[in-house]
Amino acid sequence: MTAAVAVRDLTHRYRTATGQLTVLDGISLDIDAGGYLALTGPSGAGKTTLLSLLGGLEPVQSGRVEVDGVDLAGLSSDGLAHYRRRTVGFVFQHYGLLDTLTAAENIELARALSGAPPRRRRQEAEELLGAVGLLRRGDHLPHQLSGGERQRVAIARALANSPALLLADEPTGNLDEEAAERVLALLEGQATDRGTTLVVVTHNRAVAARAATRIRLVAGRSGRPDGTDPVGEAGIWS
Amino acid sequence: MVGRELRRRAGRSVLTVAAVAVAATLLTALVTIAGTAQTRVLSEVSTGGPLAGIKVAAAAPDPSQVDQDNARPGPPKPLDDAALARIRSLRDVDAAYPVLSVPVVVLAPVRVPAAPAVPVPGSSPPTSPGSPGAANGAVPTGGAATAAPAPAEPPAVGGGPAGPYGDSLVGVPLADAGRLPLTLLAGRLPAAGSQTEVDATPDFLDRLHIPQKSAAALVGMTVEMGFPRGFGRGAFRARWIHPTIVGVVAQDAGSGQMVGSLELAAVGRDWTAAGGQDAATRFGLQPTTYTGVFVVADRLDRVTTVRTRITAVGYATQAPEQLIASVRRYVRVVEIVLGGIGLIALVVAALGIANALFAAVRERRREIGVLKAIGARDRDVQRIFLLEALTVGAIGGVIGAAAGAGVAALVGLAVNRYLAAQGVAQLRLEISVVVLAVAVIGSAALAGVAGVVPARRAARLPAREAVAGG
Repeated sequence: MTAAVAVRDLTHRYRTATGQLTVLDGISLDIDAGGYLALTGPSGAGKTTLLSLLGGLEPVQSGRVEVDGVDLAGLSSDGLAHYRRRTVGFVFQHYGLLDTLTAAENIELARALSGAPPRRRRQEAEELLGAVGLLRRGDHLPHQLSGGERQRVAIARALANSPALLLADEPTGNLDEEAAERVLALLEGQATDRGTTLVVVTHNRAVAARAATRIRLVAGRSGRPDGTDPVGEAGIWS
Repeated sequence: MVGRELRRRAGRSVLTVAAVAVAATLLTALVTIAGTAQTRVLSEVSTGGPLAGIKVAAAAPDPSQVDQDNARPGPPKPLDDAALARIRSLRDVDAAYPVLSVPVVVLAPVRVPAAPAVPVPGSSPPTSPGSPGAANGAVPTGGAATAAPAPAEPPAVGGGPAGPYGDSLVGVPLADAGRLPLTLLAGRLPAAGSQTEVDATPDFLDRLHIPQKSAAALVGMTVEMGFPRGFGRGAFRARWIHPTIVGVVAQDAGSGQMVGSLELAAVGRDWTAAGGQDAATRFGLQPTTYTGVFVVADRLDRVTTVRTRITAVGYATQAPEQLIASVRRYVRVVEIVLGGIGLIALVVAALGIANALFAAVRERRREIGVLKAIGARDRDVQRIFLLEALTVGAIGGVIGAAAGAGVAALVGLAVNRYLAAQGVAQLRLEISVVVLAVAVIGSAALAGVAGVVPARRAARLPAREAVAGG
């Protein structure tokens, strides 16, 4: 399942004690179905906000975000939840595993929210654990796993509902080099195998370099699609 | 998931559950004790009989008394089986039990315990000629129950008089004793239809100067008791029997210090009645088959109606309905106050649950965000927190209901120890399943209500919390 992502004039602001803070300022970008995009930039550039908007974690304020032709701005709260459940898979820097659930149960939870029957979701969780090389760690709680293993479980959970769009926020941020390499390889391999569109937010140039397309955000802006850089640092590389 | 979350924050969960449990304990114990107290007070008012009980006298009603609890009866009126059947057939009458009080001459028990007899000056029995107390010289009249008392006074129990005196034996259908105004204080009731067993009453204990707490001392003793019959010109004889006192009862079925079977009383009635005019004039025996009927109405609120119908049949009635209504009102107020105290405790516990959940929501913002990121809807998140609140409430409620029943039982034990020392009938603690269910369900429901606001707050947290600070 693949997704073509189209973002047009996306502007997003947060209300702060001192007034409105513009975190995204007229962003436009396209990602081909099955594409691989890396979002880079300094802290506060708006990478995570852009990822949140692509993933439907918050509503679009201004501009358009279309995934597979669906305008996210037109979705209700439940509609966004359905979109997140059916179309998107998230991988977080902090893994985002529920501490009280085992690795298998964390994966099953995603399927349970989609209404999968218990027996089926147990079977699928096992398959996914096998796919990320953790078949024997299904009964382990997150704190019994290493950082790399937790992130692999998180990837398995993100893939549980066969998403069209896989969003990873600093997936290797907490990992050592070896674990990071293994996680990235897994993420990319799974995305490629399943034809899933992959967007990775990273500070790491080496990680960004693996993507087919890289966008550097600075102060909420990206370079233009033609490659010119209106602010000196931002830009798009393919 | 809910169970594991509670285990993860074990300390806080235990404290929250404990708060609910304490509140449920208080509610259960207070309501149980209040309910038992009400039952006990009403039982005292109705002398152990049904609250919907009505005493019917073998007398015509006095029109000026019909609305009163203790209505003074009018002139005597025979109460026979036909009248009994008619009363039984009245609407809203659940049952009607005949009562027969007959005159007896009584001597103090003769099988004496260790305590020596101590005659009390000025309390000697009546012995003047023509009175029932002049029993010396009574003649046997056949059967086993005809022995005359020994000329020498038998040693008596307690400090009371040992000589004969006149009183009454109340005969009741003992097979239905559970529905009659009888409260067993010691021993047991006589066997149904028995002519060899009787129960004494607290009045009998008083006469013998035996404190109620020593009532059991009488059980097993034989009492000399005679049914008197006049033989003209002031002479009378008694048909003597030697029934065993098998228990002590407080009773309100009829007037008399002894309680026995209806059959035994009928024997006495027939013997005394055979003396002709003397039966009524000297011994006060009414020319009636029964001296009263104890009627049980279908429901307490039907008592007035049934009394009116019995009055229409032509008999005087008494029922403590106004007293019972008054007592119930006051006890209900006490119940409400005690229940209110328990409820306040539950509300405080509910605030504790809300506080704990607010803390949990604060601590689990990212987790809630993650749940939403993987597709949980607002109502899914809300359900998780509500389930946590309900679980805490239900666990606390179950523990509290059990502990409350235990506390009530302990209080009951302490009260019964005191009552036993006072020689009063003991409490029978009634732990209501309804009260227990209300404690459990109420605790869970209140916890659920307490969890609504924190659960809503959790549900409204934005999904971006999943990536906040990440």
